[in-house]
Amino acid sequence: MPAEHLARFLSQHWGEPFSISGLKRFHGGSARQTYRFDAIGASGRREALVLRRDPPSSLIETDRLAEYRAIACFAGSAVSVPEPVFCDAGPDSFGSPGFLMREVPGGLAGGLLDPEPYGDHAAAIGQQFFTALGRIHGTDPAAADLPAMQPADAALARLAHWRSALAADQFRPEPVLEAAMAWLAANPPPPPERISIVHGDYRSGNFLHDGAGRLLAILDWEMVHPGDAHEDLAWACDPLWSHFSGRAGGMLPLAEAIAAWEAASGLTLNARAWRWWRVFAQVQGLVIWISAAREIIDGRSHDPVLMFAGTIPYRFHTLTLAAALESL
Amino acid sequence: MSLPLSALLTAVSAALANEVAPALQLLGQAEAPDPNYAGGTAATAALILALAAAEAAHGPAREAAAAAAAAPLLGDAATGRDARHAALGAATAAGNRAALALLMAEAEAAYAALGLPPPVPVA
Repeated sequence: MPAEHLARFLSQHWGEPFSISGLKRFHGGSARQTYRFDAIGASGRREALVLRRDPPSSLIETDRLAEYRAIACFAGSAVSVPEPVFCDAGPDSFGSPGFLMREVPGGLAGGLLDPEPYGDHAAAIGQQFFTALGRIHGTDPAAADLPAMQPADAALARLAHWRSALAADQFRPEPVLEAAMAWLAANPPPPPERISIVHGDYRSGNFLHDGAGRLLAILDWEMVHPGDAHEDLAWACDPLWSHFSGRAGGMLPLAEAIAAWEAASGLTLNARAWRWWRVFAQVQGLVIWISAAREIIDGRSHDPVLMFAGTIPYRFHTLTLAAALESL
Repeated sequence: MSLPLSALLTAVSAALANEVAPALQLLGQAEAPDPNYAGGTAATAALILALAAAEAAHGPAREAAAAAAAAPLLGDAATGRDARHAALGAATAAGNRAALALLMAEAEAAYAALGLPPPVPVA
């Protein structure tokens, strides 16, 4: 991403000459390439910005505008998100589809293998994290321009989505995953009370905090879709994101996480749905990790983040899913 | 592992040559693209290399043990990861709990080879 390209774009977009400094690409972010930079206008205007754009090879195929619309939906609300600036669903502005948002200063994110990413503030951040999730689920999906969906379709539509992804990317037998998909198809959950905005990747690592107990912004909305709120809750509480702690997201005991979510969403956890979506979360994870491996095998990427995804989380979810199948 | 070792090694070699090395060479210079990206990519690549080395050293023994464990149930189909998994998948689909137990044992061994703490249920 050449700085000259960004300077030219911003100068045209904001109507004054801009220069770019401090352009830096973040490590990770396998579904998007993420850059931060300062834009300095001739008038003295200064903006600290973050650009998220599609990479040539992505961990997940996603809608270009959906993430931006979701962030715009919650900007200025009780659900903290970065402030959106501009989105281009085509390649003209940023070389590939992408969008700009204002940087969240001082934000920290937890790494998957960090044993204690939130330290003494885990419980405080956890309360905010699961309360924010409840607020997302309490918001009308139409506010984020999400398509309509019938409650009865929520579960099997998502299963079909990941079945399709697996069919596209599978490169060897995956008997544990296939057995789990068969169980999910044969045992659909009850439909949700209502259709919610489902973030799609709501978990430890996908939000920023200030290191002192305050959640700053929910990130990574690229998988947002309408659906059953249990989907997000199960994904957020999956053991993969618990930092080996047994706490939901590595932050709260499960019962406290569910209580915070219920209080903020106005929804009540359904035990049958919960059981189904917890298996589904592991299925979704495994398909994502297999897709990452496929990118590597086909030579479309040599990003070590995709290699990581195709090995460590893959083995984690194969093991936990096999254990789940034994208990069904 | 999902990623066959040969594919993993080819890809990590390409990453080191095409992304990590050029980025590291530019660190400290004005035109450096970003130390954060180079450092993070190098660290992840190093982790992958360590995993690949462990896999090269211990993967064959793990595979042999999995084949031996499955042989009483599957016969010749127990040899080779893909053939064994296809057969175990068919048996599991037919309700064979012994096949699922073999898959579970294999998954446990593959995860243990990572040297990470075991998964902890969130309950």
